[in-house]
Amino acid sequence: MRRDLTKVRNIGISAHIDSGKTTLTERILFYTQRIHAIHEVRGKDGVGATMDSMALEKERGITIQSAATYCNWQGYDINIIDTPGHVDFTIEVERALRVLDGAVLILCSVGGVQSQSITVNRQMSRYKVPRIAFINKCDRTGANPYRVTQQIRDKLGLNAVMLQLPIGLENDLEGVIDLVTMKAVYFDGDQGETIRLEEIPAHMQAEADEKREELLDAVSMFSDELMEVIIEEQTPSEDLVREAIRRGTLSLELAPVIIGSAYKNKGIQPLLDAVNAYLPCPTDVENTALDLDNDEKEVQVSNDADDPLVALAFKLEDGRYGQLTYIRTYQGTLKKGDTIVNSRTGKKVKIGRLVRLHADEMEEIEEAGSGDILALFGIDCASGDTFCGAGISWSMSSMHVPSPVISLAIKPKDNKTQTNVSKALNRFGKEDPTFKSFVDHETNETIISGMGELHLEVYIERMKREYNAEVEVGAPRVAYRETITKRAEFNYTHKKQTGGSGQFGRVGGYLEPLEEGEYEFDDKIVGGVIPREFIPSCDKGFRKCLQKGKLTGSPITGIRVVINDGSSHAVDSSDVAFQLAAIGAFNEGYAKAGPVIMEPIMKVAVEGPSEFQGAVMGSLNQRRGVIVGTFEEGNYTVVEAEMPLAEMFGYSTTLRSLTQGKAEFTMELSSYKKVPKSVADELIKAFEEEKKNK
Amino acid sequence: MGYEPLVKQNPLRVLKIGTENAREMGLVMARPGLGKTALLVQIALDSILRGNRVIHVSIGESIDKTRCRYDDILRTILQEYSVSQPHELIEMVQHHRMIMTFKESVFSRAKLEERLNDLIMQNIFKPNCLVIDGFDFESVDRESLADLKDLANMMSMQFWFSAVTHRDDKRKSSSGVPAPCHEVDDLFDTVILLKPEGSNIRLDIVRNNGKANGSGVCLDLDSSTMMIKQS
Repeated sequence: MRRDLTKVRNIGISAHIDSGKTTLTERILFYTQRIHAIHEVRGKDGVGATMDSMALEKERGITIQSAATYCNWQGYDINIIDTPGHVDFTIEVERALRVLDGAVLILCSVGGVQSQSITVNRQMSRYKVPRIAFINKCDRTGANPYRVTQQIRDKLGLNAVMLQLPIGLENDLEGVIDLVTMKAVYFDGDQGETIRLEEIPAHMQAEADEKREELLDAVSMFSDELMEVIIEEQTPSEDLVREAIRRGTLSLELAPVIIGSAYKNKGIQPLLDAVNAYLPCPTDVENTALDLDNDEKEVQVSNDADDPLVALAFKLEDGRYGQLTYIRTYQGTLKKGDTIVNSRTGKKVKIGRLVRLHADEMEEIEEAGSGDILALFGIDCASGDTFCGAGISWSMSSMHVPSPVISLAIKPKDNKTQTNVSKALNRFGKEDPTFKSFVDHETNETIISGMGELHLEVYIERMKREYNAEVEVGAPRVAYRETITKRAEFNYTHKKQTGGSGQFGRVGGYLEPLEEGEYEFDDKIVGGVIPREFIPSCDKGFRKCLQKGKLTGSPITGIRVVINDGSSHAVDSSDVAFQLAAIGAFNEGYAKAGPVIMEPIMKVAVEGPSEFQGAVMGSLNQRRGVIVGTFEEGNYTVVEAEMPLAEMFGYSTTLRSLTQGKAEFTMELSSYKKVPKSVADELIKAFEEEKKNK
Repeated sequence: MGYEPLVKQNPLRVLKIGTENAREMGLVMARPGLGKTALLVQIALDSILRGNRVIHVSIGESIDKTRCRYDDILRTILQEYSVSQPHELIEMVQHHRMIMTFKESVFSRAKLEERLNDLIMQNIFKPNCLVIDGFDFESVDRESLADLKDLANMMSMQFWFSAVTHRDDKRKSSSGVPAPCHEVDDLFDTVILLKPEGSNIRLDIVRNNGKANGSGVCLDLDSSTMMIKQS
């Protein structure tokens, strides 16, 4: 049986930390009868939400890995990816967005558009994902969905239009008025499972009429038919209005706003209706792949189940039964027993088991059509690989992977755990491209690096729990870089001609700062003073030097090397000789080029009640931060600052105790900046000590 | 420091306004879109180049937007006037400037005073000058403005405001300050009007440091940078 693709929705749910993503997903699963009881994220029953399947997630009450689930609402198949809110796990969000067709952006009715909402929104815009906004927590004190809607317009630049009005707010939240059907919707029963439609309460009629007018005004631009009906002053049909909203949403020019409270079981079913009605189905979205046989030309995937298969592996997980690969199909059909080709490696793989996922439980299926999200068992691949059917070799465009900003040295407790540690690192590295690990040969330490303290903490915790590998953890280190500030000449001769085969090479030229990019090598040799075949040797020598700067051993970036002079020897010049000459030349030039240490500067936003603003600014100021600005609205403020990452370790604890836990902060990499002299001196000193102790 | 060209072309220096008299209230008036904010930014930059610290109070705008204003103006200026170390200039401006944004309804003397005290007491940032953009003169009473002047006095700071004038509102004070500030103009020591003139902006000084400007000194400014037009 072929599925009707217009009745498939692949959606993501993303938002700021603690906006209630997981709570909402729990409700959705309950109403679509996938689960039969609701477990709260931090519920007293100790079960934890169904979607937070990792032990660690349940304990901390945060979502770390995005989980995939599937449900059915009014005949529509909905695949949901519940994504983490913490910025340290951004890669999970990015990956989920790559494979989704639409998204629900959750906002807190009190906090409004918070810093992470802005990040998530930007990511969604990058992948052109149509979105619906859901203003959650309307039962909380201080809830104001009108203000939040305005913020969506101001801060996210989306054309937000309310499709509903709340009936009562805060503790008095009773239900919502649907502005499309012009009916009041109430949610009865213990868990809001019974929907009761009534006439709009008399005292709200005027407001509802006014807001409906606004809604029609906003959406009529997307439908000429609707426009005509309105001009003729007739009442448009519900379907006509829905069609216009859908068109606006798909073109990314409209963001419908739904309101409710997941915790109080209000407004969830209308949200599901909105997902069906307004978010795109797989055929509404254009996805392109790169044709590897045809010079990576862009091709559009067809979504047709009869075409050869194209599917993207967007997430890996090592489960109890081997590697679990999450894939999204873009065209063709995936059948149990089929042979498919990994277009990156060219390897053929046979599909053994095909499953549909529901957090950590799964459901075995025989075949899956285009536009679906599912998982394969026992297939070896890396995340981001594309699988193709017979006859084509396409690759879905690659995903944006940010580079790590923080690293930690870890040491296994004993020899036995050593093997487990490497097993764990191997798997984590495959699962998460932002998590990297390597062995520093000079210190013999294993270094892991990632996007933030929490990010690394979670992996260390997982090593312990899942691999029984306890490690000693060093202090977190910032990923410093080195660069030069001025042009400097070099002219170095490498000579070793004392018996046996000799080595000779001379390299002359200069180094200069490079505004954009990491490294550039420019060969301006004329007259063959360095023979052609040894030019790459010079480049190789320079590249070797870039790995470890002289000041702190950090990688060197932003440098241009130009060679314009040199000499060689007919017998003694060789690849090795010129590599060594280049290394010597680089060292000579580097010392004169005003090398400096650069550190990652984070854009930090602290949000919380106004009364703590002074204390927050004080704490940021103490940490070498530059306060960029403050924003005040009612009793709520945001302080934005640029902070050196090195000073942010342990800030969450400081902030918690400063503000009685009422403020929170988010940070993301803003730029690399020169380290102040006093700090640089200390870093250099520490590096020298370390070298001596070896 | 190599920033001389910036100093020379800055209208404020040439007119000798906004100099060392710390307790001054200044006002920039113009119709919408002529560059009030740009001139406020220019005032701030001038103050920063003198080694002062400035807080840019923006009422009803976001931090990012305000920051972009500085970046844009600074970038345009740097394109036109070469400075020996542009990166250091940009960095210095960042360190000597802070942005405070308020939602329209929240801004008041009490709030501002509290925030300033937060900064000064903890030795985080000691501003010498405040530029206040987006202050609503239409609905402000004399008393609250006098209150702000009092605050400027108390803190020994310069306060610069911007106000929007309207073409069809012909009201004027006796000294020539147009509505909506015609009734409170005596609270200001310096009043500047911006008027369009061809592709340039004419800067008209109604009053300079308490003295009426009889001679009618005017300057033509480049509309994108608010620097004196190079002839």
